[in-house]
Amino acid sequence: MFKFAALIFKNLGRNKVRTTLTVLTIVALVAIYSFVCTVTDVAKTMMTAHSGDTRLLVQEKWSLPSLFPVRHVPKIAAVDGVVDWTAWNAYAGVVGEDTPIIAGLATRLDNFRAMHSGLEDLDPAILEAWEKERTGALVGQQIAQQIGRKVGQTFTVTSATHPGKNLEFKIIGILPSGIWQLTFFFRRDYYEEATGDRELVNAMWLKVRDAETGKRVAATVSEMFEHSPTQVKVETESAGIARFSGHVQTIVNIITFVANVLLVNMIIAQANSISITVRERRKEMAILKVLGFQPGMILALIVLEAMLVGSISGVAGAALAYATSELNASGALGGTVTILAQFPVPAAFIVRGFFVGAAVGFAASAIPAWNVRKVEVAEVFVRL
Amino acid sequence: MPELIVNVEEVTKNYQRGAQVVKVLRALDCRIAAGDFVALIGPSGSGKSTLLNLIAGLDRPTAGRVEVAGSLISGMDEASVTRWRTRHVGFIFQFYHLIPVLSAYENVELPLLLFRMTRARRREQVLRALELVGLLHRMTHRPGQLSGGEQQRVGIARALITDPELVVADEPTGDLDHQTSEEILDLLQAVHESLGKTILLVTHDPAAARRAERVMRMDMGQLIPESKAAVLLWSEAR
Repeated sequence: MFKFAALIFKNLGRNKVRTTLTVLTIVALVAIYSFVCTVTDVAKTMMTAHSGDTRLLVQEKWSLPSLFPVRHVPKIAAVDGVVDWTAWNAYAGVVGEDTPIIAGLATRLDNFRAMHSGLEDLDPAILEAWEKERTGALVGQQIAQQIGRKVGQTFTVTSATHPGKNLEFKIIGILPSGIWQLTFFFRRDYYEEATGDRELVNAMWLKVRDAETGKRVAATVSEMFEHSPTQVKVETESAGIARFSGHVQTIVNIITFVANVLLVNMIIAQANSISITVRERRKEMAILKVLGFQPGMILALIVLEAMLVGSISGVAGAALAYATSELNASGALGGTVTILAQFPVPAAFIVRGFFVGAAVGFAASAIPAWNVRKVEVAEVFVRL
Repeated sequence: MPELIVNVEEVTKNYQRGAQVVKVLRALDCRIAAGDFVALIGPSGSGKSTLLNLIAGLDRPTAGRVEVAGSLISGMDEASVTRWRTRHVGFIFQFYHLIPVLSAYENVELPLLLFRMTRARRREQVLRALELVGLLHRMTHRPGQLSGGEQQRVGIARALITDPELVVADEPTGDLDHQTSEEILDLLQAVHESLGKTILLVTHDPAAARRAERVMRMDMGQLIPESKAAVLLWSEAR
């Protein structure tokens, strides 16, 4: 089909205005589609976290926020089947006057990567820097932009959770895009020393070998505190996510529906353009038949033309979404769009955009192409 | 006996118009020898276009046989006759029917894309065809940039590019002024004489018909062979 490339490409320039408008429509829709799919992809990934059943979350059952004595931590960590653990203490406040409240988590440094989903591949150099800097903080991209700080700079949090205990942090790294955008992590030892809080923890994470062990550990831990003033609940990461999922599933479904509506809109927009084009070129199709083009070949030419427009537009649309996402992340847009930071469009979407656009082109052209292949040569050549 | 390029036997063609059956051709016989230059004339509605379509494999007869260039095309399926047509029949249309977004070169090349042929070989043949019709210097121009006569020359080049046995010209001068028509008819004559092509020229124009060696007249779905003198008389009477 490469030898027909000239015919296919030149037909795109037949009506430049129409082609341009069709392309722009699909570019815009694919860009929006890319943003929407990023949200649903991230949500679905979170809801199906593969390591879900080997991480257990331990929290106090009744208090909000969860708080339980730190003296219980070694007992829980020592339960047979627990291979690793970490604890969280929440610390939140504002930086300056015009920033929203930011939330941090004090945690262990030594097993940080192993115990936090999505951070397993964090650059070891960052952890080395963190080890050397007691006030070091790993900051989510969104927070860094909100407080206008970069790596190496410090920020002071006027605490809302620990009144009077305002802590200074030095940014030693930015967390990768994803679920930790609105979080910062800092060292537990710094937290304890600076706040004086050595008594309580908000939550514990336990790592176990497998799902079966997880069930057993959960039962053991629950039983340990059955008759204790401290009541704990233990759930797997996936169960916690499932609870979260239950709340967001409807939203994800709606967003998925919107994404599908966008696809249909793209198909309709392009189908409209193709139908007009095919109607205008009906006589030309008859000529091609006279010259020896088989009906299947005429159909293929129309479909390929549509897929070409679709795939080029799809790539452009996805690239636009990706570029916007990257510019947002770098702060070049003059402000930060929160949802873009939390759900950054990955570069891989450009490839997806190609296939989405090509599929839209195929779907949009199928019926018009099928109809025109049946054009009767004899009835087209009407004598004036 | 000269070899027959076209052999139409007892061909009938009817069309359904609602409940009515319209009989366009009535048990028609037509023979054209290889190398003939034949003009087919007749009033509107006489069935000229229908006969042309049948000979070119663009339509099927209701009854009868149509044999062209040694192939019984009236018995072929659509895909086979389409393939056959590419190799054996060249078309020249009244309104040129060039692809507007392609250059003259690309329009002439179009039928060759259906053959397994290297690009270099295609180029060689296209350039030869454009030289034959005197349009090498305009080969990069699109139809919109060419005059009517030039567009028809491109149409002639396209019709000849696959070296068909039969060239069908359907009112090739119908949309041209007198001088340009003469140039096109000169070219057709040259094609006939230099390349030995069999030409079937469908025309209303007696001047065009005069260029042919033989004239066939159609009337009410029947073919009436007629001498050139009769053609002149006919045209004068009109």
